[in-house]
This record gives sequence, C-alpha cells and structure tokens, in this order.
Amino acid sequence: MSEAAFPLLGAAFVVLAVLPGCALLAKALLVLVERGGGGGLLHGLNARYLLLTGSTFLPLAWFFSAGLHQAESGRSAIACLLDHGAAALCLEPGFFALALCAIALIRSAPVLRGASGLAAAKSGAAQALVQRLEGIVGQEVGQGVAQAAGRTVGPAPELARLRGRIVVTEVEGFALGTQGWLWPRVCVGVAFAEALTDEMLASALGHELEHVRLLDPLRFRLLALALAMNPVGRRLLDPHASTWLSAREAHCDREAVLRGAQPLPLADAIVRAARPTARQAAALGARDTSVLELRIGMLLAFAERAPRRCCRHEPTGLPVAVALLLLALLLPHQAGTGALDALHTGSEQALGALLP
Amino acid sequence: MTFRLRSGKKGLELRLHDLEATIMDVVWSRGLASFAVSDVLAVLQKQREIAYTTVMTTVARLHDKQLLRRVRDGKRYLYSPKLTREEFLASTAREVLEGAVGAPGAMAMLVEKVSEASARELDELEALIRRRRRELGK
Repeated sequence: MSEAAFPLLGAAFVVLAVLPGCALLAKALLVLVERGGGGGLLHGLNARYLLLTGSTFLPLAWFFSAGLHQAESGRSAIACLLDHGAAALCLEPGFFALALCAIALIRSAPVLRGASGLAAAKSGAAQALVQRLEGIVGQEVGQGVAQAAGRTVGPAPELARLRGRIVVTEVEGFALGTQGWLWPRVCVGVAFAEALTDEMLASALGHELEHVRLLDPLRFRLLALALAMNPVGRRLLDPHASTWLSAREAHCDREAVLRGAQPLPLADAIVRAARPTARQAAALGARDTSVLELRIGMLLAFAERAPRRCCRHEPTGLPVAVALLLLALLLPHQAGTGALDALHTGSEQALGALLP
Repeated sequence: MTFRLRSGKKGLELRLHDLEATIMDVVWSRGLASFAVSDVLAVLQKQREIAYTTVMTTVARLHDKQLLRRVRDGKRYLYSPKLTREEFLASTAREVLEGAVGAPGAMAMLVEKVSEASARELDELEALIRRRRRELGK
C-alpha cells in the first residue's frame, strides 16, 4: 500500500492543491494586468494568455518531468533511497508521473473529443464560391478594395497567404471561422458568403487571416485544455478567458484594418455572421451582445480615423509559452527535484498518519 | 446528454421548448415514475386544448434528448424520467458555465451567433453601419 501512496496521493495533491493554488495566483496577476496599462481590452494579450495557460501547464510539466527524472536509474529520490536502499530501482516517481499524466488526459478528454473539423462541400454553389474566393484572395479584388479606400497598403498581398487554406462548407448556419491546429484553414459558409459583397468577404477574410497568422485555433485549444485540466480553472479563470477571447477578436478586427481591410464592410459582415438562422435562434442560449457592440463601435471609429499601430503585436505569445514549457520540463534535470522529494515523503507520512 | 440553451428563458425553459418544459414539469411535480402519453395528455387537457399527437411527438423528443427512458408495453410505450428536476437544473447550470469557453476550443469564429432575442440589437447595428456609410459616402 505504501508503494502506491506517493503515485496516487502525490498526483492528487498536485491536481487538487498545486493547480488550484497556481490558478488563484494567475487570477490575481490577471486582475492586475487587466487593470493596468492604458490599452484597455487589448492590453497585454500575450501576458494574459501566458497566465491563463501557464498556471496549469507549467506546474504539470515540472512535476511530470521531475517524476521521470527521479525514476531514472541511479537518480532515485532521497525518499526512495531511505526506503529501498541505494541498489534498488525506485519506480514510484515514474508511476507518479504516469498517474499525473493519466489524470490530465482524463480531464482533457471532453476538449479533445470535440476536435472534428468541417467537411468541404462539393455542390455547384460551393464550386462557384471557391472560384469567387480564389478571385478575392488573388490580386484583382484586393487591389480594387484598397484603391476604393484610398489606402496605400492593400489587403491583396496579405490575403494571398490564404491561398490553399480556404474550405467551403454548406453546414447550415455556419458563417466564417478558422480551424486546424498546426495548419489553420478558413472555413466559409456558402449561404453566408452568398449574402456578402466581395468587399465584405475580403474584409472578413482579412480578420480570419489574423487567426491563421497567429495560429489561433491552436491557442484556443490549448486554453480550453488548460481550463479543463485545472479543477478550478473554469470557476476561477473563465471570466478572464472569455475577456481574452473577446479581446482577441477585437485585436483581429484592428489588425485586419491595419492591413488594408475596410472597416465598415467588415462591421457589416460581422453583424450578418452574428445573426442566427431560424433553427439556431430556437436553440441558442442567451448571449451578451456587448462584445459585438464594442467591436462594431470600434470599426465605426476606424472608418472615421484609421487605427495606428501603438505597439508590436507579433505572435510572441505562443513561442514564449513553448519556451517556458520546455524550461519547466528541463528544470528538474538541472536544478534538482526538492519539491517532489517533499511531496514524496509528505505523501507517505500522511498515509502513515491515516493508516497507523 | 447535451442541450442548447434558449435565450431569455429561465429554469426548465432554458433548455427545453415550452411544451417540453410543461411535460417535464407535469412528470416531476406529480412524481410520475412510469406513465403513458395518455396520462400526460389527461393532465394537460385540464389546462388547455391539446392534441394527442402533439403530446406524443413531444414526449418522443424528450426521449430522444435522453430525459425520458421508455419500455414497450403492448402497443404503447411506458415512459419514466431519467433525471430528477434537481439533477436536470444542476446540469443546466454546469452547461451555462462550460458554454462560455466551449466553442473557442473547436474553432476561431468571426463572431459567435447571438440569440433570437438580440435580433433587434442586430437590426440597430446594421442601421448604424448603413448610416455611417452614407455619412462617409462609402
């Protein structure tokens, strides 16, 4: 029984005490970041994302790596050496790492299950839309939009990056979105696109281009995983995650305009995309329109005065998150695993106290 | 078991259409452990005029939504509730909380659909955009 104490109690302690503690700390820091700075909704997007995801992934990665490190032959933890002697192979930390991994996988299963993508449509209307979209992401339409707006930077060179990344779908009520973790593709609903002018469609594609450029489907999925793995993630961090997601959309609107999209056609496309079909209207829950109104208000303002790039919003959030994750994985191998030793001995002492 | 939430509704009606909610209310409030469509019909007909086929279709839909289980009893089905009222409402609250970040995991959308109740707000936004276009000559 005592052999199983550390893998089970230790993993439970990490999930039920360490992760909630980190979520609480992240919440405090998120409140500070959201209140600080003059950038309002769009302030500190990368920092907020790192706090939302790192508060779950970093401690999990550290404990997982520390468990594996201690399970390596000849590197047994102090607790193992005391129990088994120097010659014995200590597998308990390895089982601890496996238990931690299993709990994380079980908790993230609902998020991973909903990962299916939209199928491409093949009908005549879909083929016609494909041809129309090929024209828009090519040079002609984009340059026309830029010239009409009197802008020096047209969307065409940027929209050309969407070539080969557009999927046309006939799923009822679907408007426009980006899917795909590592190779994002823009999905366009046939009925939605038919109701838009080329100008609106080009501007809306400019918005989706930002999601593609920044690998947002991957970011969103990692965020959902982090919130699902942490037992108090949804309770504590949900409002901050929702705010971040809304800010992300507003950021993509602004970036699209900065890259040449027309603000008013984009606003028009957004409002049309928000309108549900009759069947969806009966099924949808209460939705707050304040974020939508904020985005439209922002785009109306951009139509009067073009936005200026106040700061660099390069896609640093994801690379920094990956670097921090690697650091958390490597740290136990370089800087020791004292915290895991304490958890190990503490688990066995707790079991000894409970079952004398 | 997944449900979509309905705008502007509370309690049972948040996830069920009006007649579905009424039927589940009858089942739960009267403690019907096992019932036929005609049992519910008899209760509902005391309150309003309603056709047998309407009740039968709605009860079948509740079975499809996994709120009722059924067993064959000769030529008819006998239904029984799968959840208590408390269990149903508790799961509704959980879905409301999960719904806030459920969608972004799957896809980055241009915008989330708003509810039927927000149609007037959408009309106002469209009118605002049209007005601004006229003002700016675009």
